[in-house]
Amino acid sequence: MPPAMLPLGENPEDREKIPNAVSAIESILRKPRRIMYQLRQPGSGRLIFSMVMVAVCCSLIYGVVVGTFSMGDQLWAAPVKIAGGLLFASLICLPSLYIFTCLSGSQARLAEICGLVAGLLMLMTILLIGFAPVAWLFSQSTESVVWMGVLHLVFWFIATFFGLRFLETGFSHSKARSNAGLNVWIMIFMLVAVQLTTALRPIVGKAPTFLPKEKKFFLTHWGDNFNAAPGPKRD
Amino acid sequence: MTATTNSLLSEITVLLRGEAAPISAWTEQWNGRRLAVCLAVIVVGAGLYGAAMGYWRAPQQAFYVAIKFPLIILLTTFGNALLNAMLAPLLGLNISLRQSFLAVLFSFTIASAILGSFSPLAAFLVWNAPPLSASAAELSTGTYSFIQLTHVGVIAFAGVTANLRLSQLLQHLSGNSRIARRVLLAWLAGNLLFGSQLTWIMRPFIGAPGLPVQFLRATAFKGNFYESVFHALLRLLNLN
Repeated sequence: MPPAMLPLGENPEDREKIPNAVSAIESILRKPRRIMYQLRQPGSGRLIFSMVMVAVCCSLIYGVVVGTFSMGDQLWAAPVKIAGGLLFASLICLPSLYIFTCLSGSQARLAEICGLVAGLLMLMTILLIGFAPVAWLFSQSTESVVWMGVLHLVFWFIATFFGLRFLETGFSHSKARSNAGLNVWIMIFMLVAVQLTTALRPIVGKAPTFLPKEKKFFLTHWGDNFNAAPGPKRD
Repeated sequence: MTATTNSLLSEITVLLRGEAAPISAWTEQWNGRRLAVCLAVIVVGAGLYGAAMGYWRAPQQAFYVAIKFPLIILLTTFGNALLNAMLAPLLGLNISLRQSFLAVLFSFTIASAILGSFSPLAAFLVWNAPPLSASAAELSTGTYSFIQLTHVGVIAFAGVTANLRLSQLLQHLSGNSRIARRVLLAWLAGNLLFGSQLTWIMRPFIGAPGLPVQFLRATAFKGNFYESVFHALLRLLNLN
């Protein structure tokens, strides 16, 4: 049996303790099975809390980088919106994830599901920190809100891909009969997160108010932005 | 003195030969002297090639490009160090930040050594060409294109060779060619994204005859590489 398919805890490495947030970061990047195993143990609350705190800190830092595009109020508004939006999306999606996992026959407890979502958030946001120098460089050298929005979305999609892969791997150890429920949930989570980028706008550009007055679906918002973007300069 | 020079040279030749076993052992720990050698090769090698490239426009431009070229390489290596270190374990290669940083640094050292070795040839080429400031009659489009393409060819050769060596090192570290390829592609994509934008900001390199010699253009931080490629594509396809 390949090592990745071994039941959690069978490999002695899986059972090593995760004493602090730094160790949690290292484990999720190098030995994610250790996190998955610890989430099944009693007292996993501390680990979950550390992961959420790391996710909040990293999203605040990435938010500041996002805010450097517009500067001014966006330096605090963007981090608040990004960190708040991620937590909000996770919280409202968590109940449906628990229901889907139960329906698929998974043996995972609610704490474990919460932990896997916390792991998803932590991995996503630390990857965003890895992208931060690139994002900052582009934010200093372009004036196009559309371009910056697309770039941040691409980084977010890549980070989410790895985060969701962690979630799926954790889920695969929970004796679920099928992955269909999880796949549906992933779609829901992505839609909620993407819609939040519109509901909490502006995250990249500037606006007179902290939150928008007009309600829009994200596709309409993106379409409006693309149409409003200035055309190429002829020189 | 001679012994030290020989030892430095032997380390560079090990890198150029792509001897994966010793290079892999070098990534196991920090070695200040080796790090200094790599930095020196990058500064001198890429700097000399940059100088040859800029000299066509003016001696001052040569000086500027000699600073900018190594700077781009070093900024790309440092700027993407964290991202590269995170991507490697996620793609199946469990190496540390130090190992990923040194692996990328070694590959850039190889590229810079190649560029440095080609710099006398590039200088010779420029010395034989009519000056960039010459009238349109003297400086044909063919000459300009030829020199541009030569630079592209040399830089591409240095880049491809360095990445082949990096691929061999990654294969040695992972023991699996699929994982090595995945990590290499991810690192390449990240470095390309960051490096191309840095290059865009730090233009001009060859320099245009009608524009002044400058370290950075006044519009350095306006627009980005991909936007301009996208707009050029739209113009080409007559879509705007």
